[in-house]
Amino acid sequence: MKVAFYPGCTVQADQIGYEASVRNTMPKLGVELIDVEGASCCGYPPFSSVNEAAWYYSSARNMALAERMGLPILILCNGCHLSFTETKHFLANNPIIKAKIDEKLSIEGLTYVGDVELIHVFDLFHNKLGEEKIKQAVTKPLTGFKFGAHPGCHAIRPNKLIRPDDSENPIKLDELIQWLGAETMDYPGKIDCCGSSLAPASGKTVMEIAGDKLRMVKALGLDGLVTTCPFCFKVYDNRQRAIQSTVGASVEFPVFYYTQLLGLAMEVKPDFLGLDLNQSPVDSVLARIGGS
Amino acid sequence: MHVEDSPVASTFDEHRLHDTLMKMNAEVCDQCGKCPSACPVASRIDGFNPRQIIAKVCSGKEGELIRSGVIWTCTSCLKCKERCPEEISPYDIILALRRQSIREGQQHPAAYDDMVKAVIETGVITQPQPVRTRKRERKDRASLGLPPTQKPKDQTKYAEALQGLLKEA
Repeated sequence: MKVAFYPGCTVQADQIGYEASVRNTMPKLGVELIDVEGASCCGYPPFSSVNEAAWYYSSARNMALAERMGLPILILCNGCHLSFTETKHFLANNPIIKAKIDEKLSIEGLTYVGDVELIHVFDLFHNKLGEEKIKQAVTKPLTGFKFGAHPGCHAIRPNKLIRPDDSENPIKLDELIQWLGAETMDYPGKIDCCGSSLAPASGKTVMEIAGDKLRMVKALGLDGLVTTCPFCFKVYDNRQRAIQSTVGASVEFPVFYYTQLLGLAMEVKPDFLGLDLNQSPVDSVLARIGGS
Repeated sequence: MHVEDSPVASTFDEHRLHDTLMKMNAEVCDQCGKCPSACPVASRIDGFNPRQIIAKVCSGKEGELIRSGVIWTCTSCLKCKERCPEEISPYDIILALRRQSIREGQQHPAAYDDMVKAVIETGVITQPQPVRTRKRERKDRASLGLPPTQKPKDQTKYAEALQGLLKEA
């Protein structure tokens, strides 16, 4: 299967461990990633809060690039995926605004039809590859581990638009983890926000919100928190020290990208999965998996 | 629905604010409180409450919101929109209020200006930067074997299109 590959600003700039784990596992599952050459910001968050036409233009431009490639587009970030979905929906129902955006796209010789298929990471693993294929790829099951899935707000809401999973009872990421041989727990707060979008206005509140979830999963004795969203990961993994000093309690807890666990279960070397870039204490989990 | 007259000439975003409010029929809000109970911010930041935001826009006080910093403290988690029994979306209203606030040149977090500037200049919100491993070693895209980042091929043309929309709006 060939897909147009759109990592998005945040992944390609500083969540490069995630990108490495995707690029080093997908081909082994028969997914060929073709980079979207010339891609730009999806428009979220800068333009969604600043200028609606610029927001839809930003998303439409990237979808137009994928349409030109004639491929469905794989999107790694929840924020980008929702931004594209909202734009697709809005432009399909607002021909006047669409005409305005078409005119701007023509400056770069682009056209946007609106028929590109958007693939979220959950869609790819859960619907396109599926249980059998994932299980077949697992050569070292993560037996004995129990993880908490964090799907992230923009993967599940708003329910009115098509989202990758259910808004109140999302289970896909849990199942994806289970297919690797591990267990998951349906913990309280699973569908809660990481707080990251509040960073421009109140960093302290982000730390408090994220701290709540980390304390919860830690208290439950889980082995780690697992996500596919770079914004959520940045807070939960990269900011544990700052969270700790804000909330005044220990929040040290292993956090993983799903594709890192997938890679470990497929016996891809940790170096190729960017695992040395996780800032959270993942070493004990890696040691237990061992030998890879 | 009364929407306060704005000193700024009619704009795309202003129309959208009217449109958002009209379509949602926000006046039917019975102030049940499901939105603040779902909201991760309402219990933490004084003055931020999606239920009160709906009450204010319905009584023509959106100008007050547009001029206050409170609209910038939403996390965009979308729970208010999801849980509302009347299908009103405080989230969409907050985004529309933010855009109107920008149009009017009101105070807002500087990070938004920085992001917009970065996208106009480079096509992306953040530039690739070296990152640190847990052992404090520096790594970058090349050392992980990753290809060059994606960005517009002709930044001038891309910026022209984007700035055109920002000016027209």
